[in-house]
Amino acid sequence: MTKALAVDSYLLGDAESVVARVRVGDPAALEILYRAYEAPVFNLARRICRTVEDAEDVLQETFFEVYRSIGQYRGDGPLWGWVRRVASSKALMRLRRNKYRETDELFDEVHAVRREDTPLRMDLEAALERLPATSRAVVWLHDVEGYTHEEIAGMMDRTPSFSKSQLSRAHAKLRIWLGEEVRS
Amino acid sequence: MTHLTMDQLVALRDAVSEPGSAESQAHVAACAACAAELDRLHQRVARLRALPTLRPPRDRFAEVGARVRQDRRQRHIRRAGIGALALAASLLLLVIGRDVMAPPAANASGQLTAVMAESATLEQALRQIRESGQVTDAYTTRAATTLEDRIAELDRELESAQLRAASGTDAGLLPLWRERVGLMDALVDVHLTRASNVGL
Repeated sequence: MTKALAVDSYLLGDAESVVARVRVGDPAALEILYRAYEAPVFNLARRICRTVEDAEDVLQETFFEVYRSIGQYRGDGPLWGWVRRVASSKALMRLRRNKYRETDELFDEVHAVRREDTPLRMDLEAALERLPATSRAVVWLHDVEGYTHEEIAGMMDRTPSFSKSQLSRAHAKLRIWLGEEVRS
Repeated sequence: MTHLTMDQLVALRDAVSEPGSAESQAHVAACAACAAELDRLHQRVARLRALPTLRPPRDRFAEVGARVRQDRRQRHIRRAGIGALALAASLLLLVIGRDVMAPPAANASGQLTAVMAESATLEQALRQIRESGQVTDAYTTRAATTLEDRIAELDRELESAQLRAASGTDAGLLPLWRERVGLMDALVDVHLTRASNVGL
């Protein structure tokens, strides 16, 4: 069983009938869908976006898009996989809209200056939060959500090489910030 | 001995068979430091996956539901608007035909044409606003809902009035169309004011 299928059966027992009801505009069915997936959608959005407010907007936009585009879901894959794809696109769109990429450089510079003040070991949550937005998004989508570099490249409108390089740069930073032993 | 780079380690973890991956695997088998580094990479990813699920601080379903209802109303208005325009167009042909026979009424039919054209322009403006996909706040939703409800009600009145006019009765179409334009104008204002407030 894939992770997405497992999430479907765990969070939403009868995905097929709920989808059918959302398709005909049943608001109660949309709420069932929302209650089932609000936590994983918000979690994904919050791990990618810089602020709670942005993540909340992504949550709202994702479910509105689910309602509008449910006709495009063919049922040939897990529902969570489809909802997660919508959420990922919305979160990445939010990153682009807020022009985080422009501030990433500044973010890196600030960290470079502060590096000496950084505690030897950081909490993983804090280290993840500290990554530039694009790198953090790639780490989360690849390492946690399980997307391939090709899929991430498609969603980000970049190349797979860009995704790979963001991932390795992010891990190099995490290794230092987490105080992990460096090879001699 | 040159150790593997992070790029090579990450590629190895993905089991990507890229050029050089066999060499990297051979290196890891022979180099304890790189084997340990690869192991740490695996552990780091496992810890990332084990991070707790972050939950939304407040319930946002009310906003989603309001947006869905608003979308449905807008679709209804669009459908009703198209129907009303089609009926009005046929009616207008009838009125213009009569104008040829009775010149003093020409001014009224000209005004009706102008008001209907204005209504169509505002429909177009609203469509563009909706397609921009902006997030709707509670204030905008409430204000827009009130206006859309009134427009939907007015569309029903217009439909009856147009049927009456088609049978030759003076149905007071012009004031109804003017009211529709006024409401549509206000609806566009509500959306644009909200958009300028949040800098969209």
